[in-house]
This record gives sequence, structure tokens and C-alpha cells, in this order.
Amino acid sequence: MTWFHAARARLRLLAPRAAESRIDDEIRFHIEMETQRLVREQLLDPDEARRRALATFGGVQQHRETLREGRGTAWFTGLSLDLKLGFRMLVKYPGLTLIGGLAMAFGIWFGAVTFQMVGLLTSTKLPLPDGDRVVRIQSWDAKTLQDEDRVLYDYELWRSARSITDLGAYRDASVNLVGADGGARPEEAAEITASAFRIAPQRPLLGRVLDESDEAAGAAPVVLLGHGVWTNRFDRDPQIVGRSVKLGNSFATVVGVMPEGYAFPVAHELWLPLRTNAAREEPRRGTAIKVFGRLASGMSLENAQAELTAFGKRLAAEHPTTHAQLQPHVLPYAQLSVDNGEVTAMKALSYFFVVALVLVVCSTVALLLFARAASRETEILVRSALGASRRRIVTQLFAESLVLAGAAAAVGLVAAQLALTRLGKPYLQMAFDTASVPFWFDFNLSPKAIISALALAVIGAVVAGVMPARKITRGLGTRLRAGTAGGGGVSFGGVWTAVIVTQVALTVALPAVVMLLRSESKRVESYDAGFPTHEYLGVTLGIDGAAEETLTPETRAALGARITTSLEALRSRMEAEPGVAGVTFVDRLPGGDHDYQRVEVASLPEKVRSFVATASIHPSYFDVLRAPVLAGRTFTSSDLSPDARVVIVDQAFVDLVMSGRNPIGHRVRIGSSAQLDSNAAQLPQYEIVGLVKDLGMASAAMPQRQAGLYLPTVSGSQGDVNMIVHARGDALSLAPRVRELTTAVDAALRVEKLMRVDQVMTPLLWLLGLWSRIIIGLTGVALLLSLAGIYAVLSYIVARRTREIGVRVALGASARRVITSIFRRPLTQVTLGVMAGVVLISVAAIGIQHTEQFRAAQPRGLTLGEIALLSCYAILMLGVCTLACIVPSVRALRVQPTEALRAE
Amino acid sequence: MPPRPQTDALRGSLDLLILKTLSLAPMHGWGISQRVQQISKGVLEVNQGSLYPALQRLEKAGLVTSDWDTTDNNRRARYYRLTATGQRALGDELENWRRFAAGLEAVLNVS
Repeated sequence: MTWFHAARARLRLLAPRAAESRIDDEIRFHIEMETQRLVREQLLDPDEARRRALATFGGVQQHRETLREGRGTAWFTGLSLDLKLGFRMLVKYPGLTLIGGLAMAFGIWFGAVTFQMVGLLTSTKLPLPDGDRVVRIQSWDAKTLQDEDRVLYDYELWRSARSITDLGAYRDASVNLVGADGGARPEEAAEITASAFRIAPQRPLLGRVLDESDEAAGAAPVVLLGHGVWTNRFDRDPQIVGRSVKLGNSFATVVGVMPEGYAFPVAHELWLPLRTNAAREEPRRGTAIKVFGRLASGMSLENAQAELTAFGKRLAAEHPTTHAQLQPHVLPYAQLSVDNGEVTAMKALSYFFVVALVLVVCSTVALLLFARAASRETEILVRSALGASRRRIVTQLFAESLVLAGAAAAVGLVAAQLALTRLGKPYLQMAFDTASVPFWFDFNLSPKAIISALALAVIGAVVAGVMPARKITRGLGTRLRAGTAGGGGVSFGGVWTAVIVTQVALTVALPAVVMLLRSESKRVESYDAGFPTHEYLGVTLGIDGAAEETLTPETRAALGARITTSLEALRSRMEAEPGVAGVTFVDRLPGGDHDYQRVEVASLPEKVRSFVATASIHPSYFDVLRAPVLAGRTFTSSDLSPDARVVIVDQAFVDLVMSGRNPIGHRVRIGSSAQLDSNAAQLPQYEIVGLVKDLGMASAAMPQRQAGLYLPTVSGSQGDVNMIVHARGDALSLAPRVRELTTAVDAALRVEKLMRVDQVMTPLLWLLGLWSRIIIGLTGVALLLSLAGIYAVLSYIVARRTREIGVRVALGASARRVITSIFRRPLTQVTLGVMAGVVLISVAAIGIQHTEQFRAAQPRGLTLGEIALLSCYAILMLGVCTLACIVPSVRALRVQPTEALRAE
Repeated sequence: MPPRPQTDALRGSLDLLILKTLSLAPMHGWGISQRVQQISKGVLEVNQGSLYPALQRLEKAGLVTSDWDTTDNNRRARYYRLTATGQRALGDELENWRRFAAGLEAVLNVS
């Protein structure tokens, strides 16, 4: 029981308020009892008795202190006092609070956002019951270093795994759903096995979820609606269950509605039963699926991996041609990819960057705090003389910076939360070019991110508080003995010079980064696709069932023929619309990413080979884009025949591949590098029949020109289809009509994306804009800090040298000489900083020019104008820094000799 | 006034005095100081200010425990009592003290 008594006693003692009042009560009781005894036994009057009782007891306050120390909470009381003082300091020096706090808040904001985003991308936590046991199985091709999703054959075998239960699969299917208003719009659907609803169990809002019987061949087609679809498309119709809805060209009965927020497997809003005949599938053929499951009870990820590896070996032995290099991996469901060290490296790198940023910021704040502490030297010396230990003084200064960092952390965290919830999702969508962000991504600051950011604040407080405090308290005793309070045993050492130089260098170098981003934005903005893109509407069309890999060649051909007819019909109906000048089709929109093929000019003796962007176009393409053929001829409908084998190239092709020669009549071979290397002779040759100007074959993101080659194609016969509509007026006003006509012509056609062709680069511009804003913020912080730092140092120097200045002025020193002697040091520092910044920029510029990616580009890096601008900026920096020196200098010159001598 | 022993000697044995006093009956701080004085017939006087830190130390060590209670004349006071460990510790301390006192006695008796 001893431990119980001891623990109870300790707990009680640790509760500061209760313990304080207990001490007070006990002492009071004691004094009163003693007073009564004295009154009773020595017949004293009560006042005298009380006085004597107090005297016998000794110093009450001193005993209280002893008791507090015995409690082990003296430091706590001390710290709370220090924190209180720290708050007072914040209010007393608002300039320092604002600048230092703002800088720290920026660092913490950046840290919190980074921690959260990195956490989202690397976390494997899944907000599902038993989420840490949900896994996915990925087949990894060790040769091509890509995932192999055509795993239906393997899936049949995997289902017999003992270590994984509820094994299921899904595939993405974008389908046109006709809503209550009769309009058809594509929805993100998942064709999924019923086991999904055991992995991510959730009671449906209405009706039921999918079950195994729905997957049987011949079962009635059913669909499960997500909350968003039910709300937006069916006005929350409570009678929806049992209703038949149109999905593309077919109908399905609604069996249920899922509650809000349900989006398993990734970000889906519509669920259809997955019907595959996996049992009859050939190895590495058939549709692409994604496989998931749950670790069986008692089984670990390693067990499951071992079992799947064994399966993989078995399949490799049975089907060496297809499976020799395939490795099945069992991963936590939320893990985005096989971790081969990159994730850890990314984490480490971003954490390093954040900590480095905070260190740089806080060391400047340290400089400010140092200057403040130095101006309080007398106070510190007095405290020391009164018996405060060095540790005690350092603790007090640390507490002050802790209060500052705490306030900064609060501001930084609130700003981070706002930035994340407002910009986090669009950022991921833009950066990864995806509409769907996984349901397990929670943009609210996680406790982990908050704790990391707070740790960052503490690190910042230590750097900003302890460093200067240690410096200022060094040799206190000596200074005390020498009696030189205010006379400066403290000086700004090399560390502070380094801090100021770094800060100024950053202030100079960062605008260069902003400038680079800005010029990149400007380049993307001014991207010339060779035709007035804002007059054109780009419509990405999806075709229901086209991705179905179970189609036989015959049905595929039939589907292709039907789609071709539908597209032609759509084209003629669109062209008949008022406000439409022309309609054409292409596989990739100009200015976007294109397919790259290796092309060999077979008719040239040196057989030049080059990577060339290719586009499959409708014969009307160049007419609709109003791009006349510069040489040769344009495509005609007879070129669509498979034997025609003709291509048109653009000017960049002539310049970059043909070295300026006339391309007409030359012959090219098109294929992969492997094909060209092994049997180039067997590849068909295509004749170049025409030449056009550059029409956006290089994506806007690419800085260099890109050779382009056009192939005539029967639209709809293969792959992606983009419709380009030339509008006579506002292109976007055609959007509703495009949607209507598309559904009317063929319900299997979906409008997946619709934008003006010049909006292709919007995401890129958004990202560039965001980053340049962040860096402008950083520059602002750096500028503010260097100015404040220089100001603080100078003020301090002037204050410290008041006497010397006074004497010099009295002895007749000229103002110029006095100022020079004060200015010399900060001026040297700023000059060094500016020079370091310029060196930094030059190194970066040279580096950029020697980077593989930029070398092919027209000479970039920094232009003469930009260098001039930066030089102006550097001069401006010097000027502004001089400005920071003015106030202290004027103060120095106003020093009256008599006053100065009295100052001692 | 009876002669007072050196306070240093007393300070070393303060813990022992407290433990011994509490082994007779649970008591509040002032009571302990009075009891010691009373039993020693005024020879020993506890420094009142150092009594409470000692009590706190003993409580932290688990030798005594304390609770609020009321005195005979109905006043609220904090009562300390010995724990089982305290009881054992008292035995050990007494043993030590007696040995020390005997040693001291022997030295002083050498003529």
C-alpha cells in the first residue's frame, strides 16, 4: 500500500492550486493554535500572542517557498510567472511581436500544411472499421516497372487465398446517367463485387446494397446510387428504389441509396455489379480490375504477402510467357504505391526542408530577441546580482520566445486549416490531373500534423530564445564585477553576421524564383496554339462500353462503326446549329498532352529518328482550325482507307527532324523504339503529303517546340475522342446544346469534360500562381526579417556606443565619420548578402541552362532585362537597408556630449 | 528556562521525533510540536517552520499519510498518521538511534 500512499501524496502535491491552499490552511491553523496557547498559558493579549506566534514560526513566506520546492513544482510556478512576463513583453514590444510572430507563423503554417499533405499522401490509415486490415493486391511487372491491372485470371486463383477474406474487385466505369430532369450526364461509377459492402459496411439510406446474386450472368441489371447522385440528379426522391433508370443505352433498377460520404472504393457515387467471366479468362487478358480484401483473422500482411508470392511463383511456372516477371504485392488499401524507398525519401526531404525553413526564420527572430535582451542587459545584471542563476535567466528568456512561438503557432495553425480546407482538394486535383480525391483523404489538420507543427514551434522557440539568452548571459559574473552594465560586454558575433547575410541573400534570391515562375506562367498564358483557341470549344467524349476488353473483335468493330455513324451525325447536327462555324474530331486537344511515337524518316539516307507528338484527326481538322496547308495537300476522305498510308507534318517537324528540308513526298515509319530497332524494314511506310504550321502539338507545359505528325482517322474507331467546335460567339454558351445533342444522337456518348480550348492549361496556371504566391509570401517574410534584423542590430549598437559617440562628437569628429563608423558593419553585411544572393541566382540560372529538360529549349534562364531588374532589386535592397539604419543614426548624431557622459 | 540542545543534532532526529509522536496517535502539525515539547519536558523544541517540510518529505516517502479532520474543539486541521511502512521505518530508526546514542555514551564516558 506504500506506493498507493506515496502516489496519492504526490498527485495531491502536483495539483498546484489545491496544494497551495493546503499549505496556507495548515500554516494558518498552526499560527492560530499557537496564538491561543500563548493567550492561555502566558496571558498575552491576542495581538501580541499572534505576533510572537508568527515570530516563532519564522518567515511564513520562506517556509512556503521551501514547501513548494519540496513539492517539486517550484519550476512550474516560476515558469508560469515567466510566461506571464512573456505576454507582457509581447504587448510592450508590438513591432517585434508582429514581425517575429508573423515570420514564425509563416514557418509554422508552411510546416503544418506540408506535414498534413505529406501525411495524406503517405498515410495508410483507412477510416473504415478494421481499416488497417483492409488490403489491396497489385500485380507488379518487374520488367516494365508498371502495374498490371489485367489480373482476372490471377484473381480466380487469389480467391482461394486463406490469408485474405472477402476478396473482391472493381473497375471504374464512367456511365451516362439520365436523371429526373431527363438530362444525361456522366457519373463516376464502380462495377464492383458485393464483398465491397462487407469490407466497407454501411447501412444504406434506402433499399439495399448489392449482393452476390446481382453478379450472376442473366440477373436483372441493378444500380446502387450514391447520396450525391440521388440528391443532385433525382431531387432526393424517396420513391426511387425499384425505379428503372437509364444508364447509357440500357436500363437498370435502383436497389438502394447509400448515405452521404460513402464513396468506397475511391471516390465513387454509383455502384453496379461487377460481371466478369473470370473463370474463362486467358492469363493477362481481359478487363483491368483492382482487387481488394481483408486480412483473415490471425493473419498478418507478411502472411498474406507470402501466400500471394507463392501464387505468383506458381503462375510464373505455369505461364512463363505472361507471368515470368509479374509479382503480386499485398499493400495496405490506402497505400498509394509499392513503397520502394521513395516515400520515405520524399517524407524525409520535405521534413528537412520545413525544419530548415523554420531554423532560418527563427534564427533571425533570435537576432531580434537578442537585440531586445541586450538592451535589457542592466535588468539581467541586476537579477543576476540578486541571486538569479544563469539557468533561471535563460529560462525566462526562453519563456518569452515560447509565448511568441505559441501565439505564432496559433495563427499558423488556423491559417493552415483554412488553406487546407479551401485549397487542399483543388491542389491535388490540379497537380495530379484527377477529378476524384480518395474518400480517406481528410483535409482537416490531423492531430499528428498539429503535434508536429507544435514541435516545430518549440524548436523555433528554443532557437529564437535559448540561443540569444545563452549568449547574453555568458560571463555575467565578470561583467557584474566590472560594473559595466550598459557598457557592452555583449557583442554581435559571427553567427549574427551569418544570419543577416543569409537573410539578405534569400531576400535577393527569392524574387528570382518568383520571376521564373511568373515568366513560366506568362509563357503558358501566351502559349500560341497557332489558332484562336478561345473561339473553340473542346469536348471530351466518352463511349460507354468501348473500354470493355471482353468485346470480341466483331462486336468491337460493330461498336466502332456505330460510334463513327453517331459522331458524324453529331457533327452535322452541331454544324447546323446557329453560332457554330465548324466541328471536327481529334484524339487529343491542342495544347494538351499528346501521344509520342518514334518516327524514322526512311527516305533520308541518314534515316533520322526522333520522338514525335502524334494526333489522329478527322479530315476536316485543318479546315475547322482555319489552318491552311503550307505545302502539299490536306487530308481527304479517301485518305481514311487503311491502304492510303499518308501523314501530314507540322513546321516544327520540318525544322527539328528534317533540318529544314521540304518534307513533301518523304516517307516515314512509325513505331516504338523496340520495333524500329528490331524490324524497321517490316513496318509500313507513310508518305508525307502535307505541311501545316505548328498547331499546339507541344503541350503548354513544355518549354520547347515539339515536332508533330498527323494521321487521318475514322473518328470513334479507336481510343479517345475530342470534339472541337468552332463558335461564332461565346464558345462556352454552346455547352448546354452540346450536351443535349450528344445524348440525343447516341445515349452511349458521354460528355466527360467541356471547356474552351484555351482553358486546357488552367490547372497548370493555377499551380504556378499558387506557388508564386507562396514564394512571394516567403520573400515578404525574408525582407521584413532582414530589415527588422538590421534595424535591431543598429539600434543596439548605437545605444551601446552612446558614450563613445558623444565623446567623439565633443572632440569634434565630423558627422560623416561618426556615421561611417556606425554604418560600416551593417553595410558590409548587406553587401555580402546581396552578393551571395546574386551568386545564388547565377548558379541557379546556369544550372537551369544545363538541365536536360531545358537545354533543348530556346535559350532560357534569365534574360538581360530580368538580370537588370534583379540588379535594380539588389540596389533597392541596399537602399531599404540604409533606410533601416537612418533612425538609429539620427539618434546617434543627436547625442549631446554632456548627456553621453552622464549616461554612465 | 531549561538548556536547549544544539539545533543541528535535533534536525537530524526530527524525522525520528515525528515518527515516534505519530506512532502514539494521529496528530496535526502543531500538535506534534507541542507533544514533543511536552514529553521531553521542554528539553526538545521543534523548529515550527521546518516541521512542515519534514512532514511533506515523510508523506512523499510514503511513511506518513494525511487527511483533513476536525479537532476536539471542532476546528478543521490536517491530521498525519503513520503508515505500515512508517511503522517499520520507525523501528529501524530507533534501532539506529540507540546504537548511535550508546556509541556516543561510551565515548563520553571514557575518563
